[in-house]
Amino acid sequence: MSGTSSKLGVQNGLRRLWSGPNFRWNLFLLALLLVECGVFGAANGKFLSLNRVFMAAVGDLPIWCISIFVTFVMITGGIDIQSCAIVGFTSIVIGVGWQGFGMNIWAAAVLGVVVATLCGALSGFFVAYCGVQAMVVTLGGSFLYGGLALLVSTLSGTAAYNGISGFPDGFKALAKTTLFGVVPLPIVIFLLMLLCAYLLLHRSKYGRKVFLVGVNPQAAEYSGVNARAVVMSTYILSGLAAGITGVVMTSQLGIAKSDLGGNFTMMIITACVLGGTLSTGGKGSVIGTTLAAVAITLLRFGMPLCFGINKQYLDIPIGVLLVVVVVGRAVAGNPAVAAWLGRLRPKKKSRAGA
Amino acid sequence: MEANQNAGNSVPLLSVRGIYKSFGLNAVLKGIDLDVMPGEVLALIGGNGAGKSTLMKIIMGIYSHDKGHMSMNGGAVALNRPSDALARGIYMVPQEPLLFPNMNVEENITIGFDRGKAELHRELVDTMAEIGWNLDLSRKASSLSIAEQQLVEILRGILRHARLLILDEPTSALTFDEVKSLFRVVRDLREKGIGIIYITHRLAEVFDIATHVAIMRDGTITIQGPVAGFTREDLVKGLLPPDAEGSVQVRKAGEPSVDYAADPVLELDGFSGYGFSDVSLKVWPGEILGVAGVVGAGRTEMATTIFGMDKVLGGRVLLNGRDITGKRTRQVIAAGLNYVPEDRHLNGLFKICDVAANTTSASLFGGALGKVLLNRRAEYDITEKYVKNFRTKVTGHDQLTGSLSGGNQQKIVIGRSLATNPGIVILDEPTRGIDAAARGDVYSIIHQLREQGLSILLISSDMEELVELADRVVTMYQGRINAEFQKEDINQDNLTAAAFGIVEQEAKGA
Amino acid sequence: MNAVKKVLKAREMTALLFLAALFVVVGIINPAFLADSRNVANCFNDSVVYILIAVAMAFAIFIGEIDVSVGSNLGLVAAVVGTMLQDGKNWFLAFFIGILMGTVVGLINGWGVAVMKIPSLIFTLGTNGILRGLMYLQVGTKQVTDLPIAFKGASSYALFGLPLTVCFFCVLLAAAAIHGVLTRTKRGRYFIAVGDNAGGAELVGIPATRTKVLAYVICGMLCAVAGILFASRAGQVTSQSGNGYEMKAVAACVLGGISLSGGVGSVVGAGVGAVIMASISALLVFMGFSSNFDSAITGVILITIVVVDALVQRRAAVRNRHARLAARTNAPAGGKEAAEQ
Repeated sequence: MSGTSSKLGVQNGLRRLWSGPNFRWNLFLLALLLVECGVFGAANGKFLSLNRVFMAAVGDLPIWCISIFVTFVMITGGIDIQSCAIVGFTSIVIGVGWQGFGMNIWAAAVLGVVVATLCGALSGFFVAYCGVQAMVVTLGGSFLYGGLALLVSTLSGTAAYNGISGFPDGFKALAKTTLFGVVPLPIVIFLLMLLCAYLLLHRSKYGRKVFLVGVNPQAAEYSGVNARAVVMSTYILSGLAAGITGVVMTSQLGIAKSDLGGNFTMMIITACVLGGTLSTGGKGSVIGTTLAAVAITLLRFGMPLCFGINKQYLDIPIGVLLVVVVVGRAVAGNPAVAAWLGRLRPKKKSRAGA
Repeated sequence: MEANQNAGNSVPLLSVRGIYKSFGLNAVLKGIDLDVMPGEVLALIGGNGAGKSTLMKIIMGIYSHDKGHMSMNGGAVALNRPSDALARGIYMVPQEPLLFPNMNVEENITIGFDRGKAELHRELVDTMAEIGWNLDLSRKASSLSIAEQQLVEILRGILRHARLLILDEPTSALTFDEVKSLFRVVRDLREKGIGIIYITHRLAEVFDIATHVAIMRDGTITIQGPVAGFTREDLVKGLLPPDAEGSVQVRKAGEPSVDYAADPVLELDGFSGYGFSDVSLKVWPGEILGVAGVVGAGRTEMATTIFGMDKVLGGRVLLNGRDITGKRTRQVIAAGLNYVPEDRHLNGLFKICDVAANTTSASLFGGALGKVLLNRRAEYDITEKYVKNFRTKVTGHDQLTGSLSGGNQQKIVIGRSLATNPGIVILDEPTRGIDAAARGDVYSIIHQLREQGLSILLISSDMEELVELADRVVTMYQGRINAEFQKEDINQDNLTAAAFGIVEQEAKGA
Repeated sequence: MNAVKKVLKAREMTALLFLAALFVVVGIINPAFLADSRNVANCFNDSVVYILIAVAMAFAIFIGEIDVSVGSNLGLVAAVVGTMLQDGKNWFLAFFIGILMGTVVGLINGWGVAVMKIPSLIFTLGTNGILRGLMYLQVGTKQVTDLPIAFKGASSYALFGLPLTVCFFCVLLAAAAIHGVLTRTKRGRYFIAVGDNAGGAELVGIPATRTKVLAYVICGMLCAVAGILFASRAGQVTSQSGNGYEMKAVAACVLGGISLSGGVGSVVGAGVGAVIMASISALLVFMGFSSNFDSAITGVILITIVVVDALVQRRAAVRNRHARLAARTNAPAGGKEAAEQ
């Protein structure tokens, strides 16, 4: 390839990057992050300690890891509110498998992930092939899997709130190890998941199918894409993500509890929507979701630290953020407003042909 | 036909003047003047896309007109919402019934009334007895046959004591007896001084039931007047464009002629499915076979069933000798057949995706775009090839297709179907809703394809188009093929007549 | 006779029979359950809050939408009203403020969904977060643990030594009244019409947007009333009050035969479903299961019902479409025959 064509390639690449559907929104999110850092950092210097930020991140790991795959689900027009229950279920499977059945801890971890994936597959089947609304199926799923987690833990003889502990050090080390002495392994695992999610969604043929099915499932069928299989696969992926998160959190906390997944559901959905995913489907970006998840974590970490706001009240700013973003987008999407905005942008010159 | 009892009353029940309506750049109504007198049954005929539905929706308050005005009984009216129209005594019985599926018949008819339930019930029962229709009032609307649903819609209008009743193709799903009793009802209403606009594709019905007739073509009314003053031929002529007198296709010199001695590319043998029955036809290499007919004739259903979208009820589909009957869409595409959907907005376009994604959407299986990761280079090449060849006007491969004009959108969908290298392409109404310049482009694309040896099954309601492009034409009527025309017999008169179900003995197929 | 048959065939009847069957089965497994009439009565008494919130949710579902902020709405109103009563304010003032709050929330939700056309799940998720945060704020600054005894006893007040409380009868009557308005008045039927076929509704003159906003307003008001009742029955309001109630409300509606796509069901069904949801816990205890089984069994019941519902609806839709298409080919050319005469 000659020098000129590679330069053109770079130009084209840059142009494509800028006009990409997500780039501008991602820039906005990045700016939001910087503002947060600025505000919190100025209020309390301790905020800017990398260690503390990493600690906060590991605590909010479910939001980060799960939301990037729930993005897949939402792009197809669905939603997944059962992930947190699956996290707890995975944790219990690990605990019971290791303690109750004497399995090797790593084998138990693999089993946990497999079970989580199957849970996702079951719900995905109901959504894709039976035509049930995703909200309801995953609602039932959250009851079911959370309940199963509770059941399994009580049947194994441990009181639900105590949990199973005493895991081998090798397992617990999973969460304690740091790369280069600074970056905790869970964060590295998240980055690996992010890489996979990015390649899958934005660089592979499969990811292209996910978008097409979300934008127009009938047109996708007319293009020979098996829309139902694609939809089901997204739930399998989010179940898998929940499973991996369950393993990491069990290692992190050193305890297997059925409610390990906590109350992150709303924050996961907020991260996706804030990250630019359209709840009606067809649009979304794992980068955007990640940036939004980081923004939420910084908010949850910074507000108590810098302004003494009790953790329980954090739902307000997050809820406000969600409403403002969604309403703002609806207003901007209004044809009258869009036309007015369009007039502000210089006209693009037409390219090929007549 | 009985004399109009209100003949002395010269104030029109409804009068529209100079109605214009455009959707974006697409002008649908270009100056409509129409009068409906009390006690008159005005039959409104027109081909697909003539603008009949749009005009009716404007009268019913569902759409609002861009220019022009409407008046009733001499006084100007503003019909901005359906409730305005209902308050003035206008009721439209839609072509596809819009009932509430989970309510029963009685609830569907009586919803929205202020009067007492018992009183309504009695009136409903009396009306049904008078008409002679027997409907179980307690059945759920979703369990009704389409004919029964239409009856319920008509009853809604009657019970609302409409002064102006619009019937949009009311007999399309009725049996012969039901049609007779519908005619009785219409005559009854006429005598009571109610005005009726009766939209139909069946020219014979015009002479049965209508007192006046108006023909719409391409957004204007070409013929208007009392039915008694027209013959069937006059009506057919009114449906054609003014310069279409006896136009016969002259094959341009140098165009390849089709080799009918070779094996057919596509063969349908007694093919039956939902909406069409016992269809047999053949398409030869490099041939353009036109399929004419009116809406509801079953052409699109036939195409989508070939394409694996719906269940096959009988018969076979052979592609280059291979049996592809009932195969799934992906397999049909891989075997060498592709389909450009009729409704590009609903089934063809990914509006918030860019040009590249749209063009390559059917090429995602197989190796054309890489194995796992999407090969951006290949995507670029494929997209560029069709953008260049079709002279599609885009600002770049990254432009969202939703912002393109209709013609360019259509070029992209056609490009996508060609990107899979098929041996035959089914084009379903390829020039619907696109401007003249783009239409010319699409025609030259079609000629290009034919020169490359590609076969085309061209489904179209535009008779001009078929005359210009097709080597042979079959017409479908009510789900069956009712005529076939060879090159020399393809002209607008023949095609239009056959599409409307009027088949002369001599033209009946080979 | 026809009317009786119609009632027996209704989906709500199935739910009611299911409830009765539950009672019977539990009674067989553990005779102590049926031996004391108070056990069965308590199932109903304890369900008043669930019934109200299920009816509230039903309004949102009838129009084809959803409202996941009902739990937080309930909690916030309970906290505010509880605080006011604790401080000795006038009861009617407190109730009025509470219901006003619920109405405002309903208006906001209605505006977002019907006017701004934002998907209802997302928008109400946002308002849910805000309301919950506000509730934490309210309870954090002023704990609600010392409610007036009269208020707490009001919901347990029973007449003539009957096991069922006056409160339950009131709620029952209210639900029946709402059902009557929805099924027998012209405007009442608009809600379900809009959810059944929004396009068809416009064609017969029903104002779709206004109806949707009204549905959310009513939902908000009923949540507020539920919040007041909750404060009375629970005796205190904590930061966890109302948590998860939106899910129970959805489950109750689905159990009672309401379809999530809108246009189907009745508040009677929602009520029966609510009683089932409220009783599952207690019933499982009598059956010897620990409360650990609650969640799992609720999940199984919910999933089974929605899947069956969806499959039945899908089969009917496909059948209708095929009938419609087949009619086109089988219809004889009526016009042609008439013309040939």
